[in-house]
Amino acid sequence: MKNNKNILTEEMSRELPFSVPENYFNQFADQMDKQTGFKKSIIRTVFKPWMYMAAMFVGILIMGQVFYTINRNNTTRNAENYETYVLSQVDENSLAEIYVEEPAK
Amino acid sequence: MNPSEEELVQQLNEPKRRAGAFSVIVRTYQERLYWHIRKMVLSHDDANDVLQNTFMKAWNGLDGFRGDSQVSTWLYRIATNETLTFLTNKRMRSQNSIDEVDEALLQNLRADTYFNGTEIQMKLQTAILTLPEKQRLVFNMKYFDDITYEQMEGILGTSVGALKASYHYAVKKIEKYFSDEDD
Repeated sequence: MKNNKNILTEEMSRELPFSVPENYFNQFADQMDKQTGFKKSIIRTVFKPWMYMAAMFVGILIMGQVFYTINRNNTTRNAENYETYVLSQVDENSLAEIYVEEPAK
Repeated sequence: MNPSEEELVQQLNEPKRRAGAFSVIVRTYQERLYWHIRKMVLSHDDANDVLQNTFMKAWNGLDGFRGDSQVSTWLYRIATNETLTFLTNKRMRSQNSIDEVDEALLQNLRADTYFNGTEIQMKLQTAILTLPEKQRLVFNMKYFDDITYEQMEGILGTSVGALKASYHYAVKKIEKYFSDEDD
């Protein structure tokens, strides 16, 4: 009789003896979303905050590369323009003298 | 980060954000409500049906929910009503006595792939089935979930004193069931 008196407090596990199919709750929630017409934002679900940070970092790198390339092209173009300008200021004879004298140096 | 209950209630009142807020509610409370229902109907398939009905009732009744009570209390109330309605309909459909319906529930449980209890747990479930439905509810909520009498009062609409008495009698009956079985 003692066992029966204490059976609920001492012997019986309070864990439920039931289980559910695998992934049941995820599927149930998705099914409810469909019924209420809720569409999950894929970007929000897939991209966790750390992925946002990584994407931002990659974006900054790409933009840096683009700026660097444009800047370099401009520098080269400026140098070419300067050379053309200098050459335009010198007459052909003086230019010939420079090129002829140079190997002698 | 999930929104607070206050934010959720506010979002439920905004048509554009309603479905999103409800999705959070489903994900937050589905497990607790499932087990609340499952303990009463025992089989997984029946629990799944009642849980779906519960959330659809809640979704369709959102306009009536003004946040006077907690979301969990509101949902538990709907789940409890849906469960009792399910059991009543089952009884009416079968046109059998209460005992026969309870026996049918037990047979479903024995055949259920998703019951993995020991012999003594099966015996406890059988003993619980001998209780009247409301008493079963009180016993399950207190014994398995350790819900406070004050919370139960909000869900079941029964006074704390009556709930305490109900649980006390339920325990006595279950102990007697085990005692009689041993004789």
